[in-house]
Amino acid sequence: MALNESQSVNPALVVDDVVKRFGRGDEVITAVDHMSFDVAQGEFVSVIGPSGCGKSTLFNIIGGLLSDYEGAVKIGEERISAPHPAVGMVFQEESTFPWRTVIDNVAFPLELQGVGKSERMDRAHHFIDMVGLASFEKAFPSQLSGGMRQRVSIARTLVSQPKILLMDEPFAALDEQTRLLLGDKITQIQQELNQTTLLITHNLTEAVQLSDRIVVMTYRPGRVKRIVRIDLPRPRTSDVVGSDAFGHYVAEIWNDLREEASRGMADSESAASRRAAHG
Amino acid sequence: MAAAGKMSLASGAPAQRDVIVLRLLVALVIFGAWEAVSRSGLFYGEVIPSLTRIWTSLIKLLGDGVFYRNLQVTTFETVVALAIGAGCGIAVGIGLGANRFLMRAFEPYVYYLSPTPRIILFPVMIMWFGVGPSSKIALGALSAFFAIALSTAAGMRQIDPVLIRVGRSFRASLWQMTLKIYLPAMRVPILNGLRLGMGTAIITVLLGETKLSNQGLGYMIMQVYTRFDMPGLYALLIVVFLLAGAVNALIGHFARDGA
Repeated sequence: MALNESQSVNPALVVDDVVKRFGRGDEVITAVDHMSFDVAQGEFVSVIGPSGCGKSTLFNIIGGLLSDYEGAVKIGEERISAPHPAVGMVFQEESTFPWRTVIDNVAFPLELQGVGKSERMDRAHHFIDMVGLASFEKAFPSQLSGGMRQRVSIARTLVSQPKILLMDEPFAALDEQTRLLLGDKITQIQQELNQTTLLITHNLTEAVQLSDRIVVMTYRPGRVKRIVRIDLPRPRTSDVVGSDAFGHYVAEIWNDLREEASRGMADSESAASRRAAHG
Repeated sequence: MAAAGKMSLASGAPAQRDVIVLRLLVALVIFGAWEAVSRSGLFYGEVIPSLTRIWTSLIKLLGDGVFYRNLQVTTFETVVALAIGAGCGIAVGIGLGANRFLMRAFEPYVYYLSPTPRIILFPVMIMWFGVGPSSKIALGALSAFFAIALSTAAGMRQIDPVLIRVGRSFRASLWQMTLKIYLPAMRVPILNGLRLGMGTAIITVLLGETKLSNQGLGYMIMQVYTRFDMPGLYALLIVVFLLAGAVNALIGHFARDGA
């Protein structure tokens, strides 16, 4: 691993030797094991790894929702141990407020900050427009599709203008076509705002399509296996998925990932057969 | 009734008109049976008075200023009891629901105390708050409190955890979490709790008034009873039933709207 692949000048976010263990005594599971990487200003970084590798734990630590960990996640000189105003989180699960309209959902963080109503509506409107839902401002989430609801969540996080956009598999529940098109939207927004973004995902296509760099994680304990720079031209669209270069990156990262994914699979299979033997 | 059942089965869903007709029929049958028993002379004198005499008493009651003064007292006691019980119940319910440790510590108190009849505490309330409205308010608040605290705590556990994580990630204060996430997410369980709380508050306040007081509808019922004014007693009971039913329907209407 070359040094220049993992370190940037004046990074927006630094993950420095982070360790997170769960449980005590003989039952300790190390979810995140001495992970270090950083995200530069305006950069799009993905963390990819098989299910159960500790990605979501890392997401919660960086988001400040898990404060009890070793090492440091730093923004500037500040170590994160509670939700930080510079980090905006987008969750994997359906997270819109069903009792609020689209515009009131998006205006939520501004409401918490005490921004006045007309300014709140203006700013919410701007970001709703950006995610392409301008004609649905007065709709309730139940009237929208899953992909549209996820766009509402993204707009709600963007409206607070976080320095770092932190997303945990925001498209996991969506079908492949919607996922590719939403990926385009994300790329477009990221380029428009020069938005520093950290995406947690298990989807290889998505990671290569969107990222400047990809952090490949090992399966249990979660370590940094490799950091790959994606030198595909920008501005990028989902058309890039068909290109040769794209295929090379996917093949290269899959090479690393396959080993980890099969360890994960073997693990869950042996756990299942233990359960079957007991039951 | 059997014929009505068959009709509605044949036509799929029963028509609204059929339902209303059946309801009126049931009322007519009850009134008819009442009147028949009253005229048969099976019961001693005044125990089952005729409908016409109850009606006359009802009209007299509704024209009587004393009734409205007592109604005002009972309404006041119930509303204040409910407000106190709801305020404390919702706060405690959120506290218990939001914090596993508190929930485990206090669960036995809330669960095992809530079904005990509060009326046994009435003598204590009399000593603490006197024979006036305060003792009824205290007892009513106590009984409403348990119903509302329990349904709020249950409602807290039903909130989608990701919504709470969203609130935390945007650094909402406890007050903002309560106002903008907990309460709207729990509208339905809280309104149901309020409905239950209102029911038990009315019961306890009336019960307290019948035991020891000098005003209120419960007091009035006992007054009429000691005078052995049976038509007056039934008239009063009808009014209380209708009022309680109307209040319940009103809260039920809000609960449905929130769903």
